[in-house]
Amino acid sequence: MGSTVAIEVEGLSKRFGTTLAVDDLSFTVGHGRIVGFLGPNGAGKTTTLRALLGLVRPTAGSTAIEGRPYERLERPLEAVGAVLDGGMFHPGRSGRNHLRSLALAGGIATSRVDELLELVELSDAADRRAGGYSLGMRQRLGLAAALIGDPRVLVLDEPANGLDPQGIRWLRDFLRRLAGEGRAILVSSHVLAEVAQTVDEVVVIHRGRSIEQAPIGELLARRAGGVRVAGPDAGRLADILRADGAAVTVGDDGALAVADRSGEQVGALIAANAIHVAELSAASQSLEEVFFELTADGDDGKASA
Amino acid sequence: MTAALRSELLKLRTTRTFLGIVIAALALVGLIGGAMSAAAPFDEIESPGRDLIDVAGLLQPFALVVGILAVSTEFRHGTITPTILAVPNRVRLMLAKLGAHVLAGAALAIPAYALATLLVLIVLPARNVEAALSVGDATEMLAGGIVAVALLAALGVGFGALVRNQVGAVIAGLGWMFVVEPLLTALPTVGPEIETYGLNGSITAVTGSTFGGGSDLSALAGGLLLAGYAAILAAVGVYTLRRRDIG
Repeated sequence: MGSTVAIEVEGLSKRFGTTLAVDDLSFTVGHGRIVGFLGPNGAGKTTTLRALLGLVRPTAGSTAIEGRPYERLERPLEAVGAVLDGGMFHPGRSGRNHLRSLALAGGIATSRVDELLELVELSDAADRRAGGYSLGMRQRLGLAAALIGDPRVLVLDEPANGLDPQGIRWLRDFLRRLAGEGRAILVSSHVLAEVAQTVDEVVVIHRGRSIEQAPIGELLARRAGGVRVAGPDAGRLADILRADGAAVTVGDDGALAVADRSGEQVGALIAANAIHVAELSAASQSLEEVFFELTADGDDGKASA
Repeated sequence: MTAALRSELLKLRTTRTFLGIVIAALALVGLIGGAMSAAAPFDEIESPGRDLIDVAGLLQPFALVVGILAVSTEFRHGTITPTILAVPNRVRLMLAKLGAHVLAGAALAIPAYALATLLVLIVLPARNVEAALSVGDATEMLAGGIVAVALLAALGVGFGALVRNQVGAVIAGLGWMFVVEPLLTALPTVGPEIETYGLNGSITAVTGSTFGGGSDLSALAGGLLLAGYAAILAAVGVYTLRRRDIG
């Protein structure tokens, strides 16, 4: 089984002082899958990824890459590549020498360095000091470093941060290509839309806990769409809709969310029953709203899915 | 192991820092040694040769700084993350850094001591000044000087892993060597012990320096003492680095 699961996080908890950054988190990523690791800033994504990579010591629980903790991987750079936040290179060292130092440390042929510089389109700048690179070039140098060992698993922490739309698109195509080669990819983001078109599955965390793990299509089908109705007679409309077999939920403000009726259908019922409404709108829940709903409700951080 | 060592050596070579430190140290030794050999009166000096070779000892603090930068620079620029990803066994990583910086210390010391030796061999005879240093004593001084510099670099590696803050570690390291320990030697009772067995005392013994009255310890005892300090700091540095969360 160990060989089929690329990434396994099992009951992971991490405490920093009095803050519980990650709280009993579990999820898996299979080979050939792109999984979005989503949550608002401060949800514990970075801590989880760093624990997975042996950089942060778990308070409880365990993590494994292809069945082993990171520190016990025979040739770690050939198993996992990672793009994490925060510099990651010396500003006075050239991009080429940065990659060479990593290749040497990981026991990887330095001929791979030129291939990678080519792949991430950095060949021309390779001998310049990395401190002078633009943000996009830095991101690409980070990707090249992650790919140095031609790894079977990729872990990326907010790789789209600071990229312009063109850069995000380049990244998306790049990740698709890498996953197409059978690699497992775990990519974190605090913006669902950034990764929605790229990922197969999402793991959503909030306050260190997992609140959702599902294929992206299922998540959207379950969460998006519907009609919102508000007004003095909303309660009466709810009864009528329920009698009609519609899925109706009543919000805190008394407004209705009708998941499985179109605006036209609801409008017809309103007219037929002479109901007084103040607002009728397509809920057309955007990805962001789905995400917001998942991560915003419940002070205990555990939303009902 | 050798892979990690080679990577560390490449890292040393591929920024300007190490090269800059080597140039600065050699310039200082050349300047002071050159002026001293060319102009010092040497009238009341027991062994002008010994004093001149001793000038190469000026690079000791440079070696300490080179070592301190090994780990603290990685934390400063965040390169510690890719470094540990490539070498996740942090004990192995520290051993590679220690090895690389011992070699870097030697690379710093050998040209400096060679330069000082040249001054003894060329400038002193030209001025008709007797070096008053036997080949055996000179060899011992050169070997001791190179060992001291290499061990100081290793000691710095451990200290930099412990303190981690680059600027703080450099200031604390040099501050101990030049301010704190010299002040402590003025204490009653323990002062003389610190003078003999402290960091500076061990360096004086292993290098055979006679500045400040020399040392009661043999060169071997001084070398072992300095190696002991380096080993303790390296062990503490490894322990700290192993426990530390990165990021």
